[in-house]
Amino acid sequence: MTDQSTTDLDPRLLEVLVCPHARTPLRYDRAKQELVSAAARLAYPIRDGVPVLIVEEARELGPEE
Amino acid sequence: MLDHPFDPRRHRLRKRRAAAGPGFRDACFLQIRAAEDLLERLEAIHRPFARVFSLGGGLRLRKAFAGAAFALHADMMERGSDLALDPERLPIARQAFDLIVAPLALGWVNDLPGALVQLRLSLRPDGLFLATLFGPETLRELRVVLLEAEAEGTGGAALRVAPFPDLREAAGLLQRAGFALPAADREVTTVRYRDPWRLLQDLRAMGETAAFCGPVRPLRRQVVMRALQLYQERYAFPDGRVPATFELITLTGWAPHESQQKPLAPGSAKARLADALGVPEQSTGETAKPKA
Repeated sequence: MTDQSTTDLDPRLLEVLVCPHARTPLRYDRAKQELVSAAARLAYPIRDGVPVLIVEEARELGPEE
Repeated sequence: MLDHPFDPRRHRLRKRRAAAGPGFRDACFLQIRAAEDLLERLEAIHRPFARVFSLGGGLRLRKAFAGAAFALHADMMERGSDLALDPERLPIARQAFDLIVAPLALGWVNDLPGALVQLRLSLRPDGLFLATLFGPETLRELRVVLLEAEAEGTGGAALRVAPFPDLREAAGLLQRAGFALPAADREVTTVRYRDPWRLLQDLRAMGETAAFCGPVRPLRRQVVMRALQLYQERYAFPDGRVPATFELITLTGWAPHESQQKPLAPGSAKARLADALGVPEQSTGETAKPKA
């Protein structure tokens, strides 16, 4: 495993990305290393600094999130 | 079933496994060649592109666009890219880029028209889209011998090589997707392999073996052996090597912008054709309006 606390997402990258399911902006969750789509209730993983914006690979958000 | 022949998850898994394998870089020579070709075309356009989106362009395009103000390199897998995505569900905001380059990245897409529309929407007005697709001549030798070998053995044959759009379909797709000044051209190239096994190994190493939907009957080893035997018998050169045909179709399209040339509306001509040709105008005997 890489030390994820040091990886940070390029803000310019976040600007051009949308949720592939809802086509809405994404929120960067730095602690969990996820990109969160509030509209689709999905969290997309960031693996070794690379966002994986594939619906089948996303985690469904729990009721508390 | 043919509406959605491909299983994107299956293809992604294969691609990911292949990318981790030892022969991947070598086997990707076609991809690199396609990327080089698109770069040459770009040079001829003489226009700087500040915001570049490379889809499946790999290391070659990463190097080429290192000087761009913003370059995003995406692929189906994380390895070697800035973003992993599914081209059928493009996670890119509208008008985010002014150049999109996709060498052989859209091969296993079910809804190619849909993917093209999404790509067009990601372009700013007057942005350029350049892509390479495999054309229908691709792997025609393999297609023939696999069908034959399978039909011999089982009395039936399944689709084993992906169907590819031809040149006219490809150009039509661009137009349907709303690109301005759409153009498509093709190049057929023959790669020589030491034997048909090498070809199969290469396809596997590239992660380009068929990724069809559903419970595909696996090819039995016997059928594969027979197909390769037929391949050798039928296509081998005198030196024993075998050809494999690849057809590369290059697509060019622009996001519409008012500065682009457009055809004039019919009937809007301001000069007579006869004057331009320097000949007297002759009636064809037909009248445009019925006489009163």
